[in-house]
Amino acid sequence: MNFLPLWRYQNQLIDGAIVTLELTVIAALAGLLIGVAGAVALNGRITPLRWLVRGYIELFRNTPSLIQIFIVFFVLPTFGLKLPAFEAAAVALSLYFGAYSVEIIRAGLDSVPKNQIEAGQCLGLSGWQVFRHILLPPALRNAYPAVTSQFVLLLLGTSLASQVAADELFHVAGFIESRTYRSFEVYAVICAVYFAMAMSFKALFAIIGLAAFRWPRRR
Amino acid sequence: MALVEIRDVHKTFGKVEVLKGVSLDVEEGEIVTIIGRSGSGKSTLLRCINALESVDSGEIRVEGQKVHARMPDLKKFRQRVGIVFQAFNLFPHLKVERNITLAPLLTGRIEKAKARALAEDVLTRVGLADKIDAWPEQLSGGQQQRVAIARCLAMAPHLMLFDEVTSALDPELVGEVLKVMEAMAKQGMTMILVTHEMGFARNVANRIVFMHQGRVWEQGPPAKLFANPETPELASFIASAK
Repeated sequence: MNFLPLWRYQNQLIDGAIVTLELTVIAALAGLLIGVAGAVALNGRITPLRWLVRGYIELFRNTPSLIQIFIVFFVLPTFGLKLPAFEAAAVALSLYFGAYSVEIIRAGLDSVPKNQIEAGQCLGLSGWQVFRHILLPPALRNAYPAVTSQFVLLLLGTSLASQVAADELFHVAGFIESRTYRSFEVYAVICAVYFAMAMSFKALFAIIGLAAFRWPRRR
Repeated sequence: MALVEIRDVHKTFGKVEVLKGVSLDVEEGEIVTIIGRSGSGKSTLLRCINALESVDSGEIRVEGQKVHARMPDLKKFRQRVGIVFQAFNLFPHLKVERNITLAPLLTGRIEKAKARALAEDVLTRVGLADKIDAWPEQLSGGQQQRVAIARCLAMAPHLMLFDEVTSALDPELVGEVLKVMEAMAKQGMTMILVTHEMGFARNVANRIVFMHQGRVWEQGPPAKLFANPETPELASFIASAK
Protein backbone atom coordinates (compact mmCIF):
# COMPACT_ATOMS: atom_id res chain seq x y z
CA MET A 1 0.00 0.00 0.00
CA ASN A 2 1.45 3.32 -1.05
CA PHE A 3 -0.44 6.60 -1.12
CA LEU A 4 2.54 8.74 -2.05
CA PRO A 5 2.14 8.51 -5.86
CA LEU A 6 -1.29 10.18 -5.45
CA TRP A 7 0.19 13.26 -3.86
CA ARG A 8 1.04 15.01 -7.11
CA TYR A 9 -2.61 14.69 -8.22
CA GLN A 10 -3.97 16.60 -5.28
CA ASN A 11 -4.96 19.59 -7.39
CA GLN A 12 -6.98 17.40 -9.75
CA LEU A 13 -8.66 15.79 -6.75
CA ILE A 14 -9.58 19.16 -5.30
CA ASP A 15 -10.91 20.35 -8.67
CA GLY A 16 -12.90 17.15 -9.02
CA ALA A 17 -14.38 17.58 -5.57
CA ILE A 18 -15.36 21.16 -6.43
CA VAL A 19 -17.09 20.03 -9.62
CA THR A 20 -18.92 17.37 -7.62
CA LEU A 21 -20.07 20.01 -5.14
CA GLU A 22 -21.14 22.37 -7.93
CA LEU A 23 -23.10 19.62 -9.62
CA THR A 24 -24.78 18.67 -6.35
CA VAL A 25 -25.71 22.19 -5.30
CA ILE A 26 -27.00 23.20 -8.74
CA ALA A 27 -29.09 20.06 -9.09
CA ALA A 28 -30.37 20.42 -5.52
CA LEU A 29 -31.45 24.06 -5.92
CA ALA A 30 -33.03 23.49 -9.33
CA GLY A 31 -34.60 20.27 -8.09
CA LEU A 32 -36.07 22.01 -5.04
CA LEU A 33 -37.65 24.66 -7.24
CA ILE A 34 -39.11 21.88 -9.39
CA GLY A 35 -40.22 20.21 -6.17
CA VAL A 36 -42.16 23.21 -4.83
CA ALA A 37 -43.68 24.04 -8.22
CA GLY A 38 -44.55 20.40 -8.86
CA ALA A 39 -46.10 19.98 -5.41
CA VAL A 40 -48.26 23.06 -5.98
CA ALA A 41 -49.30 21.72 -9.38
CA LEU A 42 -50.12 18.30 -7.91
CA ASN A 43 -52.36 19.91 -5.30
CA GLY A 44 -53.84 22.27 -7.89
CA ARG A 45 -57.01 22.14 -9.93
CA ILE A 46 -55.56 21.89 -13.44
CA THR A 47 -56.02 18.23 -14.28
CA PRO A 48 -53.76 17.97 -17.37
CA LEU A 49 -50.97 19.65 -15.39
CA ARG A 50 -51.43 17.14 -12.56
CA TRP A 51 -51.12 14.27 -15.06
CA LEU A 52 -48.02 15.83 -16.55
CA VAL A 53 -46.34 16.18 -13.15
CA ARG A 54 -47.42 12.69 -12.14
CA GLY A 55 -45.98 11.27 -15.37
CA TYR A 56 -42.73 13.16 -14.85
CA ILE A 57 -42.37 11.83 -11.29
CA GLU A 58 -43.02 8.23 -12.26
CA LEU A 59 -40.71 8.45 -15.26
CA PHE A 60 -37.75 9.80 -13.34
CA ARG A 61 -38.21 7.71 -10.21
CA ASN A 62 -38.57 4.44 -12.08
CA THR A 63 -35.68 4.62 -14.54
CA PRO A 64 -31.92 4.52 -13.82
CA SER A 65 -30.47 7.98 -13.40
CA LEU A 66 -27.41 6.91 -15.40
CA ILE A 67 -29.66 6.41 -18.41
CA GLN A 68 -31.32 9.78 -17.75
CA ILE A 69 -27.90 11.43 -17.96
CA PHE A 70 -27.11 9.50 -21.16
CA ILE A 71 -30.36 10.59 -22.75
CA VAL A 72 -29.72 14.26 -22.02
CA PHE A 73 -26.11 14.00 -23.22
CA PHE A 74 -26.38 11.63 -26.18
CA VAL A 75 -29.99 11.73 -27.34
CA LEU A 76 -31.08 15.34 -26.97
CA PRO A 77 -28.43 16.53 -29.49
CA THR A 78 -30.39 14.59 -32.12
CA PHE A 79 -33.24 16.97 -31.41
CA GLY A 80 -30.98 20.00 -31.59
CA LEU A 81 -30.21 20.43 -27.89
CA LYS A 82 -26.49 19.92 -27.49
CA LEU A 83 -25.16 20.32 -23.96
CA PRO A 84 -21.59 19.91 -22.65
CA ALA A 85 -21.03 17.07 -20.17
CA PHE A 86 -21.34 19.13 -16.98
CA GLU A 87 -24.47 20.94 -18.13
CA ALA A 88 -26.07 17.72 -19.39
CA ALA A 89 -25.39 16.01 -16.06
CA ALA A 90 -26.71 19.04 -14.14
CA VAL A 91 -29.95 19.02 -16.14
CA ALA A 92 -30.48 15.28 -15.74
CA LEU A 93 -29.67 15.29 -12.02
CA SER A 94 -31.91 18.33 -11.43
CA LEU A 95 -34.81 16.50 -13.03
CA TYR A 96 -33.97 13.37 -11.02
CA PHE A 97 -33.77 15.26 -7.72
CA GLY A 98 -36.86 17.28 -8.64
CA ALA A 99 -38.94 14.14 -9.13
CA TYR A 100 -38.21 13.01 -5.58
CA SER A 101 -38.59 16.54 -4.19
CA VAL A 102 -42.11 16.91 -5.57
CA GLU A 103 -43.35 13.97 -3.54
CA ILE A 104 -41.43 14.96 -0.42
CA ILE A 105 -42.64 18.57 -0.49
CA ARG A 106 -46.18 17.56 -1.30
CA ALA A 107 -46.19 15.30 1.74
CA GLY A 108 -44.90 18.27 3.73
CA LEU A 109 -47.68 20.53 2.43
CA ASP A 110 -50.30 17.86 3.14
CA SER A 111 -49.06 17.58 6.72
CA VAL A 112 -50.16 21.15 7.51
CA PRO A 113 -53.73 21.12 8.90
CA LYS A 114 -56.33 22.58 6.52
CA ASN A 115 -57.68 24.87 9.23
CA GLN A 116 -54.42 26.83 9.00
CA ILE A 117 -55.31 27.75 5.41
CA GLU A 118 -58.81 28.71 6.48
CA ALA A 119 -57.47 30.88 9.29
CA GLY A 120 -55.23 32.71 6.82
CA GLN A 121 -58.07 33.25 4.35
CA CYS A 122 -60.29 34.57 7.11
CA LEU A 123 -57.71 37.24 7.91
CA GLY A 124 -58.07 38.51 4.35
CA LEU A 125 -54.80 37.12 2.97
CA SER A 126 -54.42 36.21 -0.69
CA GLY A 127 -53.82 32.65 -1.85
CA TRP A 128 -50.14 33.36 -2.43
CA GLN A 129 -49.74 35.02 1.00
CA VAL A 130 -51.37 32.05 2.71
CA PHE A 131 -49.07 29.68 0.81
CA ARG A 132 -45.89 31.64 1.42
CA HIS A 133 -46.40 32.68 5.05
CA ILE A 134 -48.66 30.06 6.58
CA LEU A 135 -48.38 26.83 4.60
CA LEU A 136 -44.79 26.73 3.36
CA PRO A 137 -42.73 27.19 6.57
CA PRO A 138 -44.29 24.28 8.51
CA ALA A 139 -44.36 22.20 5.31
CA LEU A 140 -40.64 22.74 4.75
CA ARG A 141 -39.91 21.81 8.32
CA ASN A 142 -41.79 18.54 7.93
CA ALA A 143 -40.12 17.84 4.59
CA TYR A 144 -36.65 18.87 5.73
CA PRO A 145 -35.29 15.52 7.04
CA ALA A 146 -36.35 13.71 3.85
CA VAL A 147 -34.98 16.46 1.61
CA THR A 148 -31.60 16.41 3.33
CA SER A 149 -31.20 12.63 3.10
CA GLN A 150 -32.22 12.83 -0.56
CA PHE A 151 -29.57 15.52 -0.96
CA VAL A 152 -26.87 13.12 0.28
CA LEU A 153 -28.07 10.51 -2.21
CA LEU A 154 -27.79 13.18 -4.90
CA LEU A 155 -24.24 14.01 -3.82
CA LEU A 156 -23.23 10.35 -4.16
CA GLY A 157 -25.24 10.04 -7.39
CA THR A 158 -23.24 12.79 -9.11
CA SER A 159 -20.52 10.14 -9.61
CA LEU A 160 -22.68 8.88 -12.50
CA ALA A 161 -21.76 12.03 -14.40
CA SER A 162 -18.29 10.52 -14.85
CA GLN A 163 -19.82 8.30 -17.52
CA VAL A 164 -20.31 11.28 -19.84
CA ALA A 165 -16.84 12.53 -18.88
CA ALA A 166 -17.87 15.40 -16.65
CA ASP A 167 -14.80 16.29 -14.62
CA GLU A 168 -16.21 15.41 -11.24
CA LEU A 169 -14.50 13.48 -8.47
CA PHE A 170 -15.11 9.94 -9.67
CA HIS A 171 -14.03 10.77 -13.20
CA VAL A 172 -10.82 12.30 -11.82
CA ALA A 173 -10.32 9.11 -9.80
CA GLY A 174 -10.49 7.01 -12.95
CA PHE A 175 -7.93 9.25 -14.57
CA ILE A 176 -5.50 9.02 -11.63
CA GLU A 177 -5.98 5.28 -11.39
CA SER A 178 -5.10 4.86 -15.07
CA ARG A 179 -1.91 6.84 -14.54
CA THR A 180 -0.73 5.27 -11.26
CA TYR A 181 -2.28 1.77 -11.33
CA ARG A 182 -2.98 2.27 -7.60
CA SER A 183 -6.66 1.21 -7.62
CA PHE A 184 -7.01 0.53 -3.94
CA GLU A 185 -5.33 3.74 -2.86
CA VAL A 186 -7.20 5.92 -5.34
CA TYR A 187 -10.63 4.56 -4.52
CA ALA A 188 -9.92 4.57 -0.79
CA VAL A 189 -9.09 8.26 -0.99
CA ILE A 190 -12.13 9.01 -3.16
CA CYS A 191 -14.41 7.15 -0.77
CA ALA A 192 -12.98 9.11 2.13
CA VAL A 193 -13.61 12.38 0.28
CA TYR A 194 -17.24 11.45 -0.53
CA PHE A 195 -17.71 10.30 3.06
CA ALA A 196 -16.28 13.53 4.45
CA MET A 197 -18.44 15.65 2.15
CA ALA A 198 -21.60 13.71 3.03
CA MET A 199 -20.95 13.93 6.76
CA SER A 200 -20.12 17.63 6.51
CA PHE A 201 -23.40 18.30 4.71
CA LYS A 202 -25.30 16.36 7.35
CA ALA A 203 -23.71 18.46 10.09
CA LEU A 204 -24.38 21.64 8.11
CA PHE A 205 -28.03 20.69 7.56
CA ALA A 206 -28.47 19.94 11.24
CA ILE A 207 -27.21 23.43 12.10
CA ILE A 208 -29.34 25.07 9.40
CA GLY A 209 -32.35 23.12 10.62
CA LEU A 210 -31.87 24.32 14.18
CA ALA A 211 -31.51 27.92 13.01
CA ALA A 212 -34.39 27.90 10.53
CA PHE A 213 -37.01 25.92 12.45
CA ARG A 214 -36.95 27.37 15.92
CA TRP A 215 -40.60 27.12 16.85
CA PRO A 216 -41.58 24.36 19.30
CA ARG A 217 -43.18 21.20 17.91
CA ARG A 218 -46.85 20.53 18.53
CA ARG A 219 -47.34 18.57 21.71
CA MET B 1 -80.49 48.66 7.24
CA ALA B 2 -79.21 45.88 9.46
CA LEU B 3 -75.47 45.13 9.53
CA VAL B 4 -76.15 41.51 8.61
CA GLU B 5 -79.17 40.52 6.56
CA ILE B 6 -79.83 36.86 5.95
CA ARG B 7 -82.71 36.03 3.61
CA ASP B 8 -84.12 32.55 3.07
CA VAL B 9 -80.73 30.84 2.95
CA HIS B 10 -80.52 27.20 1.89
CA LYS B 11 -77.39 25.06 2.05
CA THR B 12 -76.94 21.39 1.20
CA PHE B 13 -73.96 19.16 1.81
CA GLY B 14 -74.28 16.11 -0.45
CA LYS B 15 -77.81 14.90 0.24
CA VAL B 16 -78.20 16.59 3.60
CA GLU B 17 -79.96 19.95 3.62
CA VAL B 18 -78.30 21.71 6.54
CA LEU B 19 -79.98 25.10 6.18
CA LYS B 20 -83.62 25.08 5.13
CA GLY B 21 -84.52 28.70 4.60
CA VAL B 22 -82.88 30.76 7.32
CA SER B 23 -83.67 34.47 7.66
CA LEU B 24 -82.09 36.64 10.30
CA ASP B 25 -81.11 40.28 10.80
CA VAL B 26 -78.34 41.47 13.09
CA GLU B 27 -78.15 45.17 13.91
CA GLU B 28 -74.95 47.08 14.51
CA GLY B 29 -73.74 46.70 18.10
CA GLU B 30 -75.95 43.69 18.72
CA ILE B 31 -74.76 40.51 20.46
CA VAL B 32 -76.59 37.56 18.95
CA THR B 33 -76.11 34.08 20.29
CA ILE B 34 -77.10 31.09 18.20
CA ILE B 35 -77.92 27.99 20.20
CA GLY B 36 -79.18 24.58 19.17
CA ARG B 37 -78.29 20.92 19.02
CA SER B 38 -75.39 19.53 17.00
CA GLY B 39 -76.38 19.36 13.36
CA SER B 40 -78.96 22.13 13.62
CA GLY B 41 -76.95 24.18 11.11
CA LYS B 42 -75.67 26.92 13.41
CA SER B 43 -71.96 26.58 12.56
CA THR B 44 -72.74 26.31 8.86
CA LEU B 45 -74.76 29.52 9.04
CA LEU B 46 -71.83 31.27 10.72
CA ARG B 47 -69.41 30.00 8.04
CA CYS B 48 -71.76 31.25 5.32
CA ILE B 49 -71.67 34.77 6.80
CA ASN B 50 -67.98 35.20 5.94
CA ALA B 51 -68.13 33.11 2.75
CA LEU B 52 -66.22 30.10 4.04
CA GLU B 53 -69.23 28.25 2.66
CA SER B 54 -71.35 29.59 -0.16
CA VAL B 55 -75.12 29.42 0.03
CA ASP B 56 -77.13 27.40 -2.49
CA SER B 57 -80.01 29.89 -2.60
CA GLY B 58 -81.20 32.95 -0.76
CA GLU B 59 -78.74 35.68 0.08
CA ILE B 60 -76.58 37.11 2.83
CA ARG B 61 -75.66 40.78 2.94
CA VAL B 62 -73.14 42.34 5.28
CA GLU B 63 -73.09 46.14 5.35
CA GLY B 64 -75.30 45.95 2.28
CA GLN B 65 -72.77 43.93 0.30
CA LYS B 66 -73.84 40.56 -1.01
CA VAL B 67 -71.64 37.78 0.37
CA HIS B 68 -70.48 34.76 -1.61
CA ALA B 69 -67.26 32.84 -2.20
CA ARG B 70 -66.55 34.56 -5.54
CA MET B 71 -67.41 38.09 -4.49
CA PRO B 72 -65.00 40.60 -6.05
CA ASP B 73 -63.72 42.01 -2.76
CA LEU B 74 -63.59 38.80 -0.78
CA LYS B 75 -60.21 39.59 0.81
CA LYS B 76 -61.25 43.13 1.78
CA PHE B 77 -64.57 41.80 3.04
CA ARG B 78 -62.87 39.23 5.28
CA GLN B 79 -60.68 41.92 6.77
CA ARG B 80 -63.89 43.51 8.06
CA VAL B 81 -65.40 40.29 9.41
CA GLY B 82 -63.34 38.48 12.02
CA ILE B 83 -63.91 34.84 12.87
CA VAL B 84 -62.59 32.86 15.82
CA PHE B 85 -62.64 29.08 15.63
CA GLN B 86 -63.04 26.27 18.11
CA ALA B 87 -59.47 25.06 17.41
CA PHE B 88 -57.77 28.51 17.82
CA ASN B 89 -55.80 27.99 14.58
CA LEU B 90 -52.83 30.07 15.63
CA PHE B 91 -49.85 29.76 13.29
CA PRO B 92 -47.40 27.52 15.22
CA HIS B 93 -44.29 28.79 13.41
CA LEU B 94 -44.88 32.44 14.32
CA LYS B 95 -44.53 34.06 17.71
CA VAL B 96 -47.58 35.71 19.23
CA GLU B 97 -46.58 39.15 17.93
CA ARG B 98 -46.16 37.90 14.36
CA ASN B 99 -49.38 35.89 14.54
CA ILE B 100 -51.15 39.16 15.23
CA THR B 101 -49.26 41.49 12.90
CA LEU B 102 -48.90 39.19 9.86
CA ALA B 103 -52.26 40.02 8.29
CA PRO B 104 -52.28 43.77 9.13
CA LEU B 105 -48.80 44.06 7.57
CA LEU B 106 -49.45 41.91 4.48
CA THR B 107 -52.74 43.63 3.74
CA GLY B 108 -51.16 47.06 4.16
CA ARG B 109 -53.37 48.04 7.07
CA ILE B 110 -50.43 49.25 9.14
CA GLU B 111 -46.77 50.14 8.65
CA LYS B 112 -43.96 48.03 9.99
CA ALA B 113 -42.93 50.64 12.55
CA LYS B 114 -46.35 50.50 14.20
CA ALA B 115 -46.75 46.72 14.17
CA ARG B 116 -45.44 45.98 17.64
CA ALA B 117 -47.51 48.75 19.20
CA LEU B 118 -50.60 47.30 17.54
CA ALA B 119 -49.79 43.82 18.90
CA GLU B 120 -49.26 45.28 22.38
CA ASP B 121 -52.55 47.13 22.17
CA VAL B 122 -54.73 44.17 21.19
CA LEU B 123 -52.90 41.83 23.58
CA THR B 124 -53.60 44.25 26.41
CA ARG B 125 -57.28 44.09 25.50
CA VAL B 126 -57.25 40.32 25.98
CA GLY B 127 -55.00 40.52 29.04
CA LEU B 128 -51.92 38.89 27.51
CA ALA B 129 -49.50 41.77 26.96
CA ASP B 130 -46.73 39.77 28.65
CA LYS B 131 -47.01 36.93 26.08
CA ILE B 132 -46.07 38.99 23.04
CA ASP B 133 -42.79 37.10 22.51
CA ALA B 134 -44.09 33.61 23.29
CA TRP B 135 -44.63 30.79 20.81
CA PRO B 136 -48.25 29.60 20.57
CA GLU B 137 -47.22 26.16 21.83
CA GLN B 138 -46.05 27.69 25.07
CA LEU B 139 -49.54 28.99 25.88
CA SER B 140 -52.51 27.27 27.48
CA GLY B 141 -55.63 26.67 25.39
CA GLY B 142 -57.39 29.63 26.94
CA GLN B 143 -54.44 31.90 26.24
CA GLN B 144 -54.19 30.65 22.66
CA GLN B 145 -57.86 31.42 22.13
CA ARG B 146 -57.41 34.92 23.55
CA VAL B 147 -54.48 35.48 21.17
CA ALA B 148 -56.73 34.28 18.32
CA ILE B 149 -59.28 36.91 19.38
CA ALA B 150 -56.54 39.56 19.58
CA ARG B 151 -55.40 38.54 16.07
CA CYS B 152 -58.91 39.28 14.80
CA LEU B 153 -59.11 42.56 16.72
CA ALA B 154 -55.89 43.72 15.06
CA MET B 155 -57.80 43.89 11.78
CA ALA B 156 -60.35 46.24 13.43
CA PRO B 157 -63.32 44.20 12.17
CA HIS B 158 -66.84 45.61 12.00
CA LEU B 159 -68.28 42.24 12.93
CA MET B 160 -66.94 39.27 14.87
CA LEU B 161 -68.07 35.68 14.50
CA PHE B 162 -67.34 33.11 17.21
CA ASP B 163 -67.71 29.44 16.34
CA GLU B 164 -67.91 27.44 19.59
CA VAL B 165 -64.75 29.13 20.79
CA THR B 166 -64.81 27.59 24.26
CA SER B 167 -65.75 24.03 23.28
CA ALA B 168 -62.16 22.79 23.02
CA LEU B 169 -61.08 24.30 26.32
CA ASP B 170 -60.67 22.73 29.73
CA PRO B 171 -63.53 23.95 31.95
CA GLU B 172 -61.26 26.07 34.13
CA LEU B 173 -60.05 28.00 31.06
CA VAL B 174 -63.49 28.86 29.67
CA GLY B 175 -64.04 31.80 32.02
CA GLU B 176 -61.03 33.84 30.89
CA VAL B 177 -62.13 33.66 27.23
CA LEU B 178 -65.74 34.55 28.02
CA LYS B 179 -64.55 37.52 30.06
CA VAL B 180 -62.65 38.89 27.05
CA MET B 181 -65.71 38.46 24.87
CA GLU B 182 -67.89 40.16 27.44
CA ALA B 183 -65.53 43.14 27.48
CA MET B 184 -65.69 43.35 23.68
CA ALA B 185 -69.48 43.26 23.86
CA LYS B 186 -69.45 46.18 26.29
CA GLN B 187 -67.29 48.16 23.86
CA GLY B 188 -70.01 47.88 21.25
CA MET B 189 -68.57 45.21 18.92
CA THR B 190 -71.21 43.50 16.82
CA MET B 191 -70.93 39.81 17.62
CA ILE B 192 -72.55 36.62 16.41
CA LEU B 193 -71.73 33.59 18.50
CA VAL B 194 -72.42 29.94 18.22
CA THR B 195 -72.04 28.57 21.72
CA HIS B 196 -73.01 25.98 24.25
CA GLU B 197 -72.33 28.41 27.09
CA MET B 198 -75.87 29.07 28.28
CA GLY B 199 -74.68 31.33 31.08
CA PHE B 200 -72.96 33.61 28.59
CA ALA B 201 -75.95 33.52 26.25
CA ARG B 202 -78.24 34.49 29.09
CA ASN B 203 -76.08 37.27 30.58
CA VAL B 204 -74.35 38.96 27.65
CA ALA B 205 -76.42 38.44 24.53
CA ASN B 206 -79.10 40.88 23.40
CA ARG B 207 -80.86 38.15 21.53
CA ILE B 208 -80.93 34.37 21.45
CA VAL B 209 -81.57 32.54 18.21
CA PHE B 210 -82.57 28.91 18.64
CA MET B 211 -81.90 26.85 15.54
CA HIS B 212 -83.52 23.49 15.00
CA GLN B 213 -83.40 21.22 11.95
CA GLY B 214 -81.87 23.90 9.74
CA ARG B 215 -84.35 26.62 10.63
CA VAL B 216 -84.59 29.54 13.02
CA TRP B 217 -87.08 27.91 15.35
CA GLU B 218 -87.49 30.64 17.89
CA GLN B 219 -85.74 33.87 18.81
CA GLY B 220 -85.98 36.71 21.28
CA PRO B 221 -84.35 38.37 24.29
CA PRO B 222 -82.64 35.87 26.59
CA ALA B 223 -84.80 36.55 29.63
CA LYS B 224 -87.97 35.82 27.72
CA LEU B 225 -86.63 32.86 25.78
CA PHE B 226 -85.16 31.03 28.73
CA ALA B 227 -88.14 31.72 31.01
CA ASN B 228 -90.97 31.13 28.54
CA PRO B 229 -89.94 29.04 25.56
CA GLU B 230 -92.82 28.92 23.08
CA THR B 231 -91.91 25.67 21.36
CA PRO B 232 -91.51 22.25 23.00
CA GLU B 233 -88.20 21.83 21.06
CA LEU B 234 -86.63 24.86 22.76
CA ALA B 235 -88.06 23.85 26.13
CA SER B 236 -86.48 20.42 25.86
CA PHE B 237 -83.20 21.90 24.61
CA ILE B 238 -83.02 24.27 27.57
CA ALA B 239 -83.85 21.45 29.96
CA SER B 240 -81.10 19.24 28.49
CA ALA B 241 -78.53 22.05 28.48
CA LYS B 242 -78.89 22.71 32.21
